[in-house]
Formats: sequence, structure tokens, C-alpha cells
Amino acid sequence: MLTATFEPVLTKTMQYPESHTLEVYRKHGGYEALAMALQKQPDEIIDMVKRSGLRGRGGAGFPTGTKWGFVPKSTDKPKYMCVNADESEPGAFKDRLICQKDPHQLLEGTLIGSYAIGANRAYIYIRGEFAHEARLLERAIEEARTAGFIGRNILGSSWSCEVTMYVGAGAYICGEETGLIESLEGKRGWPRLKPPFPAVVGLFGCPTVVNNVETLACVPHIVKLGWEWFSSIGPERNSGPKLYGLSGHVNRPGVFELPMGISLRELIDEHGGGVPGGRPVKGVIPGGASCPVLRGDEIDLPMDFDSLTRAGSLFGTGTPIVMDDTTCMVRAAWITARFFAHESCGQCTPCREGCGWMQRLLWKIETGEGEERDLDTLLSITDQIEGNTICALGDAAAWPTRGFAKKFREEFLQHITERRCPLGGGSLH
Amino acid sequence: MASVKIKVDGREIAVEKGTNLIEAAKNAGVAVPHFCYHPGLPVVGVCRICLCELEGRPKLVAGCATQVEEGMHVITRSAKVADARRAVMEFLLIHHPLDCPMCDKGGECTLQDYTMLMGPARSRFKFEKITWPEEDVGGKLVLNKNRCILCMRCVNLCKEVAGLDEIAVLSRGEQTYIGTVDGRKIENELAGNIADICPVGALTSKDFRFRARPWELTNVSSVCPHCSKGCNITVGYHPRRNEILRITARTNMDVNQWWICDRGRGGFHFLHDPKRLLAPARAANGTSRPVPWKQAILDIAQALRDIIVRHGARAVGVVGSGTLTNEECYLTRAVFKDGLGVSNVDFPPRPQPEVAYKKFTIEGDKDPNARGAALCGVAPGASGLGVRDMMRAAAEGTIKALVFLRGGPLDLFGDPAIVERALQKVDLLLVVDFVPSPVSDRAHWVLPGVTFAEKEGTFTNSNGRVQRIRKVLTIRGDTREDWRILQDLGQALGVLPVTDPDPERIFLRLAQAVPAFSGLSYSTVGELGAPIAAATADVAVG
Ligand SMILES: Cc1cc2nc3c(=O)[nH]c(=O)nc-3n(C[C@H](O)[C@H](O)[C@H](O)COP(=O)(O)O)c2cc1C
Ligand code: SF4
Ligand code: SF4
Ligand code: FES
Repeated sequence: MLTATFEPVLTKTMQYPESHTLEVYRKHGGYEALAMALQKQPDEIIDMVKRSGLRGRGGAGFPTGTKWGFVPKSTDKPKYMCVNADESEPGAFKDRLICQKDPHQLLEGTLIGSYAIGANRAYIYIRGEFAHEARLLERAIEEARTAGFIGRNILGSSWSCEVTMYVGAGAYICGEETGLIESLEGKRGWPRLKPPFPAVVGLFGCPTVVNNVETLACVPHIVKLGWEWFSSIGPERNSGPKLYGLSGHVNRPGVFELPMGISLRELIDEHGGGVPGGRPVKGVIPGGASCPVLRGDEIDLPMDFDSLTRAGSLFGTGTPIVMDDTTCMVRAAWITARFFAHESCGQCTPCREGCGWMQRLLWKIETGEGEERDLDTLLSITDQIEGNTICALGDAAAWPTRGFAKKFREEFLQHITERRCPLGGGSLH
Repeated sequence: MASVKIKVDGREIAVEKGTNLIEAAKNAGVAVPHFCYHPGLPVVGVCRICLCELEGRPKLVAGCATQVEEGMHVITRSAKVADARRAVMEFLLIHHPLDCPMCDKGGECTLQDYTMLMGPARSRFKFEKITWPEEDVGGKLVLNKNRCILCMRCVNLCKEVAGLDEIAVLSRGEQTYIGTVDGRKIENELAGNIADICPVGALTSKDFRFRARPWELTNVSSVCPHCSKGCNITVGYHPRRNEILRITARTNMDVNQWWICDRGRGGFHFLHDPKRLLAPARAANGTSRPVPWKQAILDIAQALRDIIVRHGARAVGVVGSGTLTNEECYLTRAVFKDGLGVSNVDFPPRPQPEVAYKKFTIEGDKDPNARGAALCGVAPGASGLGVRDMMRAAAEGTIKALVFLRGGPLDLFGDPAIVERALQKVDLLLVVDFVPSPVSDRAHWVLPGVTFAEKEGTFTNSNGRVQRIRKVLTIRGDTREDWRILQDLGQALGVLPVTDPDPERIFLRLAQAVPAFSGLSYSTVGELGAPIAAATADVAVG
């Protein structure tokens, strides 16, 4: 259906050997978009990106052009572009692929974005565990600098831009944009109070845009193929090509480039090759661990921001985790809660205390020690966290717990009445 | 500054632009609870107890981190706000030991107060609590992390006021804790303020803990006597034990803001020094014997008179003190300079290196009232001698009588060898002090005065601010307030036609005699002090 006429762009050159090198990237038209962009006024680029309908691929789906437009024009301060390559959400592994197979695509998008917002320096904040990708990126930055795409008077223009890579120390919270900024400044990655937003007061107190890797990788294509092309892909307000990272109980896990709005069931059954052994889908976490689970009977829906919000879940990073009928949903909820409790930065009360409490309650239920009122307590904790914290990690911990407990209430109650895990712990460890 | 109109729980008020919701609500008479917010520290917005509702906005906002905007309607009394507050209280208590009965903060603990006010009465948390061992972190503080709510006040006090990263937040998630950097001890001299501002019993003062419950203390406003900054303090004393147990900072935005240094905080133990001078004494031939006050005053006056009759007023030297009050300095001048015509009147400065922290300076002048002493005329009169010259003159025999209104080590007054000779040589050596010193050890007469906590009076700080000290303790032994001693001497010498029953009236007399104090009275000085007359301020510095 939707996919019939779709031609991948983000992953196109990845099929070639040595796709991460400048040589291969340029052979397939690499850095042409940068040259085209430099012929335009920065505002024209922002306008194109606005019209394309590109929404952030880092999880929140904020319109990218609009975000760029928030950067003040008349300021004496330097401006910064920060690339969020911290990808640490369980289930998400799409940005990693770009860094690995096509780092120049990311660099080109980063440079165009920097030009559009008037930045002369971009930082790529990469997750500490991505050591291999960091080496490849570092090499790509060197290549691009030698070729004149990074540095002074890029491509003969009056615009100069440096790109610096910074390797994180392994904390999910440093992917939250202001936690990232604090970490880049050499401090603890504690998210900041907002407002002010980074576009006004960001890195080193200067206007800053933080964008996801995939978001920026889309930008060269918008410049080259036009915003009309981009916006024609996918449903309205949810346009463009998308990298779906599919994992869990599927025959062919991996990253698939498909249009926004593809059916979740099609993604699993056709592209992911279905569930091993033809077992039924019990639940799907549609967009990374922070997104509320969908039941197997709810997956006939388009994968895009608005559709998933309407369904009571979230599109997140567009990276579904599939669970078959052998999976214990209490244990899945516990594993998710454990992750967020471990990754809470510890700064604000509801998240610091609530996450650990949820984790304990879920373990109690999973191990057959739970009581019915534990389930009520669990749900009330999610209400007590949601919306009351400094950053969205608190919400990201509350939502999936609530999702599991509501969507699979029967299974939770079964754990409580049978005083054991009916699935023997399940297979998702 | 421009002001904006807002509503707080329906009540319309005008507040300054830039005010946060906690302060704005306070202006409207509404208390918004807060743990981490402190007006003297950066806003961190971490505790979340201050969540408020804004009309028309779906999400609650942190009152400490949100500034007023024109037309804003702040709601603090909705069910939503109450739920959020109760949620935060419940969360804060899940790992808290609830050991109020043995916690030193009990009775003045924000967590305890809020729990009584709005907290859940019982916990739904039925798991083992995270526990930590107690720790000595230096700075005369003990850290009990079990009670810590991670408000960051201690971290930011060291960082923003002292300018030192001596205490930090470590680890993450529910394992997050406060600790010193690499386990080193806190060394900055402002650390004691942490015990004042820690909203719970996590960081308590080693000096004070377990000595009394806060409600047993009577708190009296006073001024620190340990340097010329004149920090405002609250003296906490135990009336039944007649003992001061702690000194804490008292906010005065014109002087010390919210802080005091640890010298001021800990500098009260000398009050209870067992070696204190407790009765007037006459020393002769290596022995000292107590003499009743009346007799002592009469004998001293007689001896002084004799010397003046025989050698003239130039044979008398008076060493005053910058630790005495304005009233006492005024009396020093009235009795000796104006009354007896003594022009050798002065006091020794006690300079030490100044310690300048990021936002707080401990001043180098160790006298709380050097400025006042100079203004009141404790300074050489026409062709009068300064302290060092007095010592020289006494050593040479031209000065026959020395009056020290405070003693001290010999080198405070000049070359110790010369001072020694001076003290040996004079015919009359009178010392007024509350503890023995090398000077009082050599005196013919010792009169026991009192400390800053045993009398009323005023100090003038280096900035020319007149502030009151208060009598906290009842007088010990047979001691007498210095202002009383000076008046008694003046009377016996026949140079003070009238005396006053209290320092408040002495101050009025002083305000008439000394232009810098003109127009001031105890009521205008009030709780927070008042500046000396501007026209005289410059003159006084020199
Ligand atoms: C706890 C937390 C972790 C996050 N981690 C990432 C991440 O690893 N990568 C990312 O791109 N965005 C992450 N985000 C989202 C960022 O805050 C930010 O919205 C995003 O980088 C903006 O880029 P975009 O507009 O291009 O999506 C995270 C958000 C939260 C609250
Ligand atoms: S919500 Fe959690 S991760 Fe975010 S600032 Fe608060 S404690 Fe830190
Ligand atoms: S700075 Fe001076 S006045 Fe203030 S507390 Fe310290 S010693 Fe006392
Ligand atoms: S007082 Fe506002 S968050 Fe702590």
C-alpha cells in the first residue's frame, strides 16, 4: 500500500560498501545539498523545513522548522547546534545506524541546520557506549574538514562552521536536551528548568538548537528534493520518510526506512517477517520504552505522531518492541520501570522517589507477593509523578507503567490472586 | 521597577516584575510551601512542593521557578495543588527514617512542619528503606543522609556564597546523595550556615546538637561581637541553665543578608569560661583579694585623684576598647576626657587578615565597634598620646596611672618589652575586663565587666550602621555592666553630675553630644539598625 511507491532516501547509500566514507557519500550526491543551501538565505532554509512538515525524530515530534525559527536573529551571542546522538531509549537503535553507515549524511544535515540558525559551531553529543560509531564520526569530521565542508569559509561562502564531537559517559538523561547541554558544559547531566528554552538560553547561556540525528539526516534531502516532496510522504502533519527500529519477537528485527504513517501491523508482519513460530502478538511498545504499550488487538493503526497519541500511546522514536504471548507483561513493566529508576537523574522528588517505588511494587507483584491495593498504589504513583517533574523522564517512567497496568490489568490481577507469575517470568529479561 | 497586577487565590495584588510566585503569594498573605527555594540561593526547583496552578494552564508550575506576569491568576488552594503537595510529601517520606524523637532538627524542621500540615498520616511504602551511615563532613557539621531531601541548599551555599565546591551531589536516581568532594572535610568558614538553612535534620551543628530542643531556647536578637561587619544574630539561650547554646544568623539585607561566619556562630563559648573575672579585686605584693564594689570604686577614684593632683591629668593614660558599646565609649570620653581633662585617650586596633568569600567577607577589623569608639571620642585629645606612646611614656615614668577598659596580650598595646615596663612602673594600673589577661595579671585593681551578651547597648559597624546588642544572660557573680562601672567611677570622681539607669538613656545623651548619632534613639535603631548621620559618615572613617 503506502510503501509501494516509496523510495528510501535516508538509507539509500547504506547498501554500498564503505558507505561511511566521504568518497562513497559524494559519489551518490553527498554535500550537494550543502552547496545548494549556501546559495540560499538562512531564512529560506528554515522556511523550507517548516513547509516540509518535518517533526523531530528524537521522541517529542516538535516541528523542526518552528524550533529553528525560535532562535533569536538579533543577538550578539554565538549560537550553537547540538546533535543529539545519545540514543539510549530501550528499543531505539536507528540513530546508531546513521552514525555507523552514513555519518556524512548527518554531518551535511548538521551543517545545513547550523547555517540556517546562524551557528558557527556544532557539537555532536554521542552516547558513550557508541565507541565504534564515535570513531567513524570522528573520521568523517576529519574528512569533511579536509574537503572544506567544515571550517572557514565553507565552499567559498562567508560562513564558517566547526563541528566537535563529545562522547557522553553513559546516562540516558543526557539525551534530554537540557541534560545534554549541562553535560556538554562539563557538569552533571541534570535537566534544566524550562523556561528559558535552549533556543534562547542554551549551551553556555547562548541560543541553541538540539536536534536528533535522524531529524538532521532528513534535512539534506528536503533541500535537495524540495519540501513538497517531503511533505507528500505520509499523513498530513506527520510527513516524511522514517527509520523504524523494530525489535522483540519478530523474525527480522532491524531498521526499516518506510514512510511515516505505515501500519504497525504491516511493519511487523511484512517488514519484520512476523512473530517467530507464528505466535500471536500480545503487546507492542510502539515507540521506545517510554511509550505506553498497545495490546495485540490494537496494532492496526498508522505509525505516526498523531495516530498514536489518539490511541493513548506515543509515537516516540518510532521504534516498536514486539512481545508475543509468552511475555509476562508484569515483568515487562518491571524491566521498563527498573530502567527508568536507574536512569532518573535524582534531581526532582517525584521522579527520584516515585520510579524506585514503582519498580519495587512491580517486582512485588511479579514475584507473587502483590496485593490488589499495590496495583492501586502503583497507578496513583503514576498520577503523582506525571506532569510534576522538571523533565519528561518522570512522565516517561509513569506512562509505560500505567499503560501496562491498565492494558493488562487482568494479568496483573492474576499474578496477585495466583500468588505467582502465571508465565513463569516470561521471556523478556 | 515596574510592577504587574496578578491574582493569588482570587486576591488582586500588585507585585514587582521578576518576583516569583512564592514571594508574590507571600505579599498576598498566602504561604506557598517550599524546601529548596531560599531567597539567598539560586533557584533549583527540585523539591516540587511549591507546585501552583495557573489559571488556564493544564500543568502545575513550580512557584519558585515561575515569575509573575501581568494578569496571571495563581491558584494555591485547588484540589490539584493539594494532591501534588501531598504526593511530594509522601515521596519525600518513603525513605525517610521518621526519627523525629531523636532528630536534632525536631521542632524547627520544615519537613516535620509540613507533614503535620498536609502530609499523609501513614505511608503506603512497605519496603525496606535505603539507609546511610552518619558522617562527619567537617565544617562542624554532621551529615545524616537518611533525612536528606536533596534540596541542594548546602551545595549551593558553598558554591554560590562561599564560592567553593566543597560539597556536592553524587550518584543518581534514588541513590543520589550529598557528599563532600573526594571525602575531604568542608573547610570554609561559612559552612555553619548550612545548619541554619538545611530544612531537615540532615546537616546539623556538632556544636549545638543534642544540647537542647529548640523550643527550650529563648531567642534574642543581637549583633555579633567578633568583627566590624556587625552581622545580625539570634542568640539562643536556655533560661533555666542561664546558658547560651547557639548563635544563628538573623537576616539583615543591609549587613549580612542571611549569613554569618563560623567565628561568629561559635564565638560564644568564652562567655561561659570558668576563668571569668567575677569580683572586683585589689592586688598587692603578689596576692589578690576581693574588695566590695563600693570600696573599690572609692579607692580607685581616690588613687586617680591623687595622681592628677600631684602630676596633672597628663600623667593619666586611658586605653579604651573597640569592643565596648557606643554608650560605654561615650562614657569613657565623658568621664576621662571631658571630666578629668585627660587627653591620653585611645584604643588599640585589632587587625587580622580579611577573608573574602564569593559573596561574604569576614572583615579584618576584629573590633565590633571601632567605628563607634572613634566617633564617640575614644581618641587622643589635644596633644594627647596614642596607645603606643602612652606605653612609652609610662615606661619612661611620665604617665603614672593607666586605665585599661579591656586587657589583652601585651603586644596588642605596643612593643611587649615596653608594655611590660610600663605596667610595672605605673603607680596605678586599673583593668576592667571579663577574663584575666597578661594585663590584668599585672594590675593593681581589676574590675569585672561583662560580655556582649550580658548588657544592652549599641555597636556601630564599619559601614556606619548603629545596631543594638541585647542582654541575654543574667549577670554572673559580682560582675557589673561596663557602662555602670564607668558611671560609678564618674560619680566617685565627681565628674558625672547625672547618671542614667539604662543604656537607652545614655544613648539619648550620646545622640545629643555626638553629631553622627544625632536624631537616633533605640526606637529608630530598631531590630535592624540605622545608619549614622550621612554628613558625619566621611569624617568618621578617617
Ligand atoms: C529522558 C529523555 C531522554 C531523551 N533522550 C534522547 C535521545 O537519546 N536522543 C534524542 O534525540 N532525543 C532524546 N530526548 C529528546 C530530547 O530532549 C529532544 O527533544 C530532542 O533531542 C530534540 O530533537 P528533535 O526535535 O530533532 O527530535 C530525550 C528526552 C528525554 C526526556
Ligand atoms: S524528572 Fe527525573 S530525570 Fe528529569 S529532572 Fe526530575 S529526577 Fe531528573
Ligand atoms: S563576619 Fe564578623 S560580624 Fe559577621 S559573624 Fe563573622 S565575625 Fe561576626
Ligand atoms: S521550592 Fe520550588 S521546587 Fe523546591
